[in-house]
Parts: sequence; C-alpha cells; structure tokens
Amino acid sequence: MKEIDFEHKMAAHCESGTVTALLNHGGLEITEPMIFGIASGIFFGYFESSVFSFPMFIVRNKPGSIRKNIIKRLGVNFYTRSFRSQEKGIEELDSLLAEGRPVATQVDFYYMEYMPEYLRTHMNVHFINVIGKNEKSYLISDSYYKEKAELRTELLHKARFVGGNMAPKGFLFYPVSIPENIDFEKAIRKGIKKAAHDMIKLPVPFVGVKGIRKFAKKVTGWPDLARDIDHLSHEIMKINVFLEDQGTGGAGFRFLYATFLQQAAQKINDAQLEGMSKRMMAIGDDWRNISYFAARIGKNRDLGESRLDELSQMIYMMADKEQEFFTELYKMVK
Amino acid sequence: MRKIIIRIKIKHFISQFLIFLGTIIYTVMKEKEAQINHDVHPLVLYVEKEDGTYGRLETASFLSKNYLDDYFDKVRKWDAELKEKLDKGEISPVYYYMIMLEMGEGDLASRVGISKWKLRRHLKMKAFEKMNLRMLRRYADVFDIPVSNLLHFTVIKEKDQHKLKITYQKATSNPYISVSKIETV
Repeated sequence: MKEIDFEHKMAAHCESGTVTALLNHGGLEITEPMIFGIASGIFFGYFESSVFSFPMFIVRNKPGSIRKNIIKRLGVNFYTRSFRSQEKGIEELDSLLAEGRPVATQVDFYYMEYMPEYLRTHMNVHFINVIGKNEKSYLISDSYYKEKAELRTELLHKARFVGGNMAPKGFLFYPVSIPENIDFEKAIRKGIKKAAHDMIKLPVPFVGVKGIRKFAKKVTGWPDLARDIDHLSHEIMKINVFLEDQGTGGAGFRFLYATFLQQAAQKINDAQLEGMSKRMMAIGDDWRNISYFAARIGKNRDLGESRLDELSQMIYMMADKEQEFFTELYKMVK
Repeated sequence: MRKIIIRIKIKHFISQFLIFLGTIIYTVMKEKEAQINHDVHPLVLYVEKEDGTYGRLETASFLSKNYLDDYFDKVRKWDAELKEKLDKGEISPVYYYMIMLEMGEGDLASRVGISKWKLRRHLKMKAFEKMNLRMLRRYADVFDIPVSNLLHFTVIKEKDQHKLKITYQKATSNPYISVSKIETV
C-alpha cells in the first residue's frame, strides 16, 4: 500500500473536518470550529420534498459552501474539479495520489463499507480524504471513522460517480497555496455577519429562524404523513439523529459554533464574543434537551397530540432564542 | 386542613425537586457527562472542558447505545409487513427496497435516471412485471444488490441463524449472474 504521511483525526463534521485536515497537512494550524465559523456553517432549514422520504430539516449551510467561503475569506487557493467522464476522474485521482498529494473527494455515503450497515444511507454530499492506494483498494481518512480505513476500488468509483440529486460527479479538491499572513479578524467578522444574516434576514419562509418556526408548526402534522406509529416514532427519533449523530458536534452544530465563538474571541481579543459563546452553549443545551425528548417519546411510542404539542412548543422557543441571539450578534459585527 | 396544606406543599416540593433533577440531567453538556462508551458508533462532540474552555471530545452516539434495539425491532417489523404485501402482490420489490432504504421517490427516480411518474408505476406489480432486465439492473445498482435479489429472497430460519450465515452475495463479472455463499458460522 502506497500511503501518504497524513495525520488522521476524527472530526465533528465531514466537510469542515476534511478541509481542516487538508489545511493542517498543508501547514496552516487551524481548528475545525474556526473553519466552521469563518465559513458561516451554522444555519437552519426545513424542507418538504420528494427527494426525501419524509420532511427533514438541516442545521448547516449548503454542502460545498464551507470550502467556498474558506477560499473567499482566508485567501486559500484550492484546486477543484468535477468530471463528466468517469475514466478521467479516476485517472486524475490516481495521478494526484502518485504525486503524494492527499485529495478530498465527494462521495455517496452509502458505499462507505467500513461504517456500520445501519448508518449507511444514500447521501451524495459526504466528503472524505483519499490518502493512499494499492491494487485492490484506496486508503481513506474519513472524519466519521476512528482510524484510516480501506475501501475497495470499485466501491469508491461507484460512490464518486453515482447519479441523483447533487450527484458528486467525481468532484475533488486540494489546497494549492496557503497565504502566510491571514487577516483573521476580518475573516471572523465576515463569517459571523453572513451566518447571522442568513439566520434572521433571508426572506424565505423555510430557512433561518423562520425555518425553525415552520418546523415547530409542521411537526404536529407529522402523524398524518407517517405510515404507522412505528414509522412516526422512527421519524421523531430521527430528530435526535439529525441534531446529534449526523456529524454535528452535538445539538445541531450549536456546540461547535459556541466553540468557534470562544476561540475567535481569544484570537481577536473580543470580550463580547466570549459572552456570546456562553449564550450559544446554553442554546445548544436547549437543542440537546429537544433531541433527548424526541428520542424518549419516540422510544416509548408516547406520540399523542399533547406530546407533539409539547415538542412543538420547545422548538418555537428555540426560534425566539435564536432570533434574539443572532440579532444581537449581527449588530455586534456590523 | 393544615395537614392537607402540608401535604400539598410536600407534593409541590417533590415535583419541584424532580424538575430540578431533570434540569441537572439534561442541561449540562460537560465533558464527563457527555462521555459515552460504545464502540459501534463513535462520534466527536464539542463540550465544556473542566477548565471552562470548549473543545472536542471523542465519544459515541447516545442514540445508538440506548435505542438501537428498538430501531432493529422496527426494521424487522417493516421487513415482515412488506414481505407479506409482496406475497400478496400488493407492492413491487422496488417499493420494498425504497422503503427499507428510506429513499425518497424523487431521489430514487433521479438516481435510476427515469421520471418520477414512471417510478411510481414501478412501485406496483402491474408495471414491474413488464420491466426489462436492463431496467431491473439499473435499480439493482442503486440498491447495491445483485439483480437476482429483486426477484428472490434468501432467508435463513431463525433457529438456524446461529450456525448458518450468508457470507457473500455478489454479481459475477456478468452483472446478471450472481453467486451467494451460505456458510456455517
């Protein structure tokens, strides 16, 4: 196995983890929360679409935008490319690995064979670092897995070139140049401003705090959409999965964002941000209560109207709290 | 009268105490409380460290540790229900796999490369039985199963599950011919 010397580290989230690992490998010392915060990763959106088997919500910004925002705000230069032809995509990845360069690529999570089977779902926006190759398999550094993992060659090819919504098209990227002097203060303020703006100011009824309110309103109607009580219980328990287990660092990225605010406050010596970080942690705790509550009522099949009302009220409260929080944060960096 | 008031006060106290306990259990995201020992589903969480700073902690999924059996029970139940419907011809195997893999109709249709309208027809036996092999293979590729599995289930009886296991089930280099291996554990 030809293996590139690459430090593998688990991370809270796949995209910010991949970008962080690549930048660390390139010599820039930066933590995952900083990458996540500067790239305005925090978000909320509630979606009902036939793409998903059930209404779902997201707690982060659009896949790919963490990389894009980092390029814009830190001035790091990334080489990016997607492919129409599968042969070319495979060829390019192999030649980059032969050069000794770790490469991040976008894949369908379903084919990541090293993960436990029950976790694997079709999700086209998973990011991994490829760090080595032999005849039969690739060596993968996946933020969600404890160690470096081997993945069979044909599975990686399948995962990179599946069809469907947001198809990966073999998309790959790696940092080409990292500037020496980075103006972190500007980057941090821009990152916060954009995140706060998207949370409170976007005139779309299903994103930001409006999205949280929509989620609170619609969750009471979920029983009509479910096949039976077990299905409903499964979907309610998935609230916990989306908030805690799907690579969020806990409480739907809120803990990760609080960590960012704290580290940013230290970096640019801003006591106000330190205070906001504590408040964000408290908001995260409330989200965590919601996810535990959802898991519990789901397990007990305690899904009567009043219970769902209770859940809905808890979520409404989060909308108010986050509106207040992000309005203040927006004023602070404006 | 006084006794009743005292009783009410005690009740009130107890309920307040329980609520207080609840807040302790649920609102602390400190390092110690967040640590879960479970090796199947590792996770990184961000928590408050003992010195008050926030940082990463390698732990495991709370849900996977505590509620995984419940999830597998549900999956087994759905599997049985859907297979019964398949038996009666009410649904097609495409519907079975779509539900079991929790895919949306729009997502599945675009992965297979057909319209949603066409996919909806394939969910019923009437259109499924007119499907050609090539289309069957496109579905099998998305579900990541051998083509034959869309027409066939290999089941090991529960009483034999401790000694027999399906160890291998893959297409050969001809994608329409697949091989299953059943071995003793």
